[in-house]
Amino acid sequence: MFSLKTLLLLAVGLVNIVYAKSSTGNSDEAPAIIEYDEPAFVHVVVLASETKNFAKDLSPQAFVELLNLKTNLILALSTKQTPLTSLAPEFSLVLPPPGTPLVSYFPKRDEPASLIPITPTKQDATHILSKNLAPVWFSGVPQALGNNPLLVPILHAPAESFASEVDGGSADALADSAEKGGEGLWAGSQLSVVTGFQTVNNARVTWVGGVDLFSDELAQKEVSPGVKSGNAQFARDIAAWTFQENNVLRIDKIEHHRVNETEPRELYTNNDQLVYSAYISKFNPVKNTWEPYSGIKDLQLSFTMLDPHIRTALPPVSGHPGKYSTTFRAPDRHGVFKFVIDHKRQGWTFLQSSTTVPVVPPRHDEYPRFLSAAWPYYAGAISTSVAFFLFSALWLAGEVKEGTKKSGSKGKTE
Amino acid sequence: MSTAYPVPSDVSPVTVKNAASLLRIVALSLISGAAIASRLFAVVNFESIIHEFDPWFNYRATKVLAAKGFYEFWNWFDPTAWYPLGRVVGGTVYPGLMVTSGVIYNILHWLNLPVDIRNVCVLLAPGFSALTAWATYMFTKEMKDESAGLLAAAFIGIVPGYISRSVAGSYDNEAIAIFLLMFTFYCWIKALKQGSALFGTIAAVFYFYMVAAWGGYVFITNMIPLHALVLILMGRFSDRLYVAYSSWYAIGTLSSMQVPFVGFQPVSTSEHMGALGVFGLLQIVAFAQLVRTHVSSQQFQKLLVASVIAIGVLGASAFVFLTIKGKIAPWTGRFYSLWDTGYAKKYIPIIASVSEHQPTAWPSFFMDLQFLIFLFPAGVILCFRQLRDEHLFVIIYAVMASYFAGVMVRLMLTLTPVVCVASAVALSTLLDTYIDPTEPIPAEEDVDDSASVVTNGSSAANAPSTQTQSKKAKKAAAAAPPSKGPLGDLVAATVSSTSTKAGASSKPKGIFGIDARLVVILNTLAMLFFFVFHCTWVTSSAYSSPSVVLASQNPDGSQHIIDDFREAYYWLRQNTPEDAVVMSWWDYGYQIAGMADRPTLVDNNTWNNTHIATVGKAMSSSEEVAYPILRKHDVEYVLVIFGGLIGYSGDDINKFLWMVRIAQGVWPEEIQEPNYFTPQGEYRIDERASQAMKESLMYKMSYYRFAELFGGNPGTDRVRQQQVPKVGPTLDYLDEAFTSENWIVRIYQVKKEDPLGRDLKSANAFEQGKKRKRTKPAPRRRAII
Repeated sequence: MFSLKTLLLLAVGLVNIVYAKSSTGNSDEAPAIIEYDEPAFVHVVVLASETKNFAKDLSPQAFVELLNLKTNLILALSTKQTPLTSLAPEFSLVLPPPGTPLVSYFPKRDEPASLIPITPTKQDATHILSKNLAPVWFSGVPQALGNNPLLVPILHAPAESFASEVDGGSADALADSAEKGGEGLWAGSQLSVVTGFQTVNNARVTWVGGVDLFSDELAQKEVSPGVKSGNAQFARDIAAWTFQENNVLRIDKIEHHRVNETEPRELYTNNDQLVYSAYISKFNPVKNTWEPYSGIKDLQLSFTMLDPHIRTALPPVSGHPGKYSTTFRAPDRHGVFKFVIDHKRQGWTFLQSSTTVPVVPPRHDEYPRFLSAAWPYYAGAISTSVAFFLFSALWLAGEVKEGTKKSGSKGKTE
Repeated sequence: MSTAYPVPSDVSPVTVKNAASLLRIVALSLISGAAIASRLFAVVNFESIIHEFDPWFNYRATKVLAAKGFYEFWNWFDPTAWYPLGRVVGGTVYPGLMVTSGVIYNILHWLNLPVDIRNVCVLLAPGFSALTAWATYMFTKEMKDESAGLLAAAFIGIVPGYISRSVAGSYDNEAIAIFLLMFTFYCWIKALKQGSALFGTIAAVFYFYMVAAWGGYVFITNMIPLHALVLILMGRFSDRLYVAYSSWYAIGTLSSMQVPFVGFQPVSTSEHMGALGVFGLLQIVAFAQLVRTHVSSQQFQKLLVASVIAIGVLGASAFVFLTIKGKIAPWTGRFYSLWDTGYAKKYIPIIASVSEHQPTAWPSFFMDLQFLIFLFPAGVILCFRQLRDEHLFVIIYAVMASYFAGVMVRLMLTLTPVVCVASAVALSTLLDTYIDPTEPIPAEEDVDDSASVVTNGSSAANAPSTQTQSKKAKKAAAAAPPSKGPLGDLVAATVSSTSTKAGASSKPKGIFGIDARLVVILNTLAMLFFFVFHCTWVTSSAYSSPSVVLASQNPDGSQHIIDDFREAYYWLRQNTPEDAVVMSWWDYGYQIAGMADRPTLVDNNTWNNTHIATVGKAMSSSEEVAYPILRKHDVEYVLVIFGGLIGYSGDDINKFLWMVRIAQGVWPEEIQEPNYFTPQGEYRIDERASQAMKESLMYKMSYYRFAELFGGNPGTDRVRQQQVPKVGPTLDYLDEAFTSENWIVRIYQVKKEDPLGRDLKSANAFEQGKKRKRTKPAPRRRAII
């Protein structure tokens, strides 16, 4: 098997991190990958693409469990039916029937039709792959993609390629299978050969259509005279992405306070001017440090109670690397609001932050005391008081005749 | 002069007066003691704990008040209630109760008595019941005399109709409101009798206290104007009325507007317009009176009458106009439901769903009032005999309160005081007549009237008529013929009183001998004894359960405490993050906030129908529909009450139809009540339950794993008496987190979204190892037809 070689290849490109590959030999003594709800490895690579039975602890369910525990995976597929084949649909990957690798007769070459040089195009994940990557030799199964937004197609199949049995790869057979499968035609550049997947909690998986991609043989093989294939670099790229070195962001902290203050309040009042800032860093795999990152141009902030009451851009602050800040007026509505950042871009770590803060009506002494609109009432109150005073004065000062019935007017003033 | 039994004649009137006064004080203090003691069953049988639902909020608010002071309480915004809307507590609460306990608490601490605020709250209601007894005594004294007052005080002290809302731990607004009600009425009667602005002002101050304490203040707001209106219509307008009413209304209304929750309602809602209208009418009438004294012309007076009527009509039409224009809020739904008992069920299910708002069942009148209920009409009839202004008040009060008590169970509370007063008047008249030692002189002219030596002499003058009257009353009490009774008695009473006044009675009337007296008095005493036994029994057995803690009997007769509620609430408190939102039906909102200290979606302050309907919809839809609702509201735990295991009938499945109805009111397309019944129209939970019922979140949460308890045997729901399906419901979107000892409270945790972006149902299927059906790539071009 080529597993050892492959590993070496991976190891050449990756330093500083312990990669562990678990039990391609199916030995029962191998350490369990999950013990007491703790993952035993930081990353897991499964290249046993043709093994029918895995060790007990490597069930498809266990792989999903690993992802829940934020372990990253590289999983390789093959044309044979393996446990991984039944796992793939959970990631919205639709695999062709067994025994049908990707085949392409273009460009014309000496190699078998199932070994295809693929040139990365704009369509592919340019932020994951290095620039000017030489064409990559690929041999394996393609994956049709479901409509799951968490999928990150890394490398697409060439437009002329299709999935078919290698021997019966004639035009007739293809037409036949297309007939049988109705619309289920595995062909064209919509297929992906290497597909990333980032779970909601930011664990990453990469599905590789064929494990040969990583072999030394293909890495050394020339794609065109004098040009070595891009396989080695490609392997490094996807490993860097999958193992959380590349495109990894985090929110260091968030701050919120009223304008002209510095400390956050436990609650804000309606119509307060609020300042919200987030500090975002990006991981630098070379230095192994987190560096402030101001490169996000489309970050948004929502101020939400059931529905977003305010949704505004959260632009980077020039002069403060990594700081994004905005000022806005709290809505004229009380309730328990949340500052929500929910930044999801394919291939990048999802940035999510939610801070709960109640917005309350003004306190009893925070309302304006005198309103110009209320002058009629003030005038009414003042005039009544003055009139009552004058009336009392006149009444007391005036001559007292004998008991006229004045109880009526007396009562009115009470 | 002959007497039926020897009466000491050498006692000076002063001694008699002092002795009577001392006896009254002793009697009143004993009554107070009895009133307090009989409310302590709950504490003795269970513990010093806050009861039921609303009191838990009041208790929580009081704790805030005691800890942070009045201003913080006033500005208190509770972000944990009605999540995420929050509740402006300071502006949506009647603060009277909390402020009262806060003041008592502070006084006690100032006196260096370190009493826990909980004990102040628990014992507030019994304490105020003693004050109520005193206020009723004062009120009844105005109606008849001191002896009737003492009887009334004794009645109100132990009558179950009032105890039901004021046992120790029942820390609710009604606890202090009945005292305020009676005392305001007393001050009003006093003000009216004396034409006193002082008493009018005191009435207004207590009215303000009442407004600050209970939403039922509207009853006073309409009772007093109604009384005034009736007096005017009967031609009894006087300066006394004018002074009393004007001072009460002006000061009372202005001060009531200081309560934040009430605000401008007294001048902008229909419920308060009656008081304003009567106030205006009084001014007009007073002005007319004034003019009449100055002008003699007959024609001018006619003109005056016409103009008075015209102004009245104008005012009424202005009121109607303003209502139509929307300046005056129209009657609220709660008000309509007072007139049309079916109204709430049709239009506002949220009000109809409260058991307190159901019409009263006949037996509960006897249960709550026992023999007072048939003395009550007699007392009202007796009020017609003298028909002074204050008697009119009792008559109006009796009529209105009887009606309202018939419409709504909880308004039994407002009926109880007037029943006590009227019954006390009747019973005391009866006793006056039969204890009166004066023997009528056979076949002579009745000259002995003035020669009475009885201390309570006011009835002596009317002894003959009283006697006929009380006989009638007794007859009414014994047989209670409802059809012709009141009117016939009324005629008889008026006829007899006029005839005695004219002195035209030829036959001697009165009671001869000690035996006749003893028969009646012993009978009455027996009735009173039975009343006391009944009250004690009802109080101890029916009204003293905290409902937070349940009691049952072990086979050997000892008490078994079922403490599932607190067990579950404390579990929430100790095992969940502090900001974990708990969804439950609104009944349990206050308890969760009070005991578990967790945010809730809805609670017993049912101000937002839509929010409650949202919870109802989540409970009555399938998991797939409910899950987005739960996630949108950040719900982490769902709590249901399930009584099927031990037969606790007040559980959520029995309330479920109300959830469906309330949700249907807002989403008639999605939730339909008939779907939850079997095709035969039965409400079932067994195999034959309807599809919608079986899929509803409430059903699933209630019966999740219930069948497993019975180990293969068919399980039985002991509330519904139906067998549950052998294969219980499954849950995909929720996890069972906690089930209390007797399964009364079940708490479920809402699952997070699947990290792979699948729906939780298929994620669960995968987890259980089910294979997914093979899929094909989605078609990218249209099929050619």
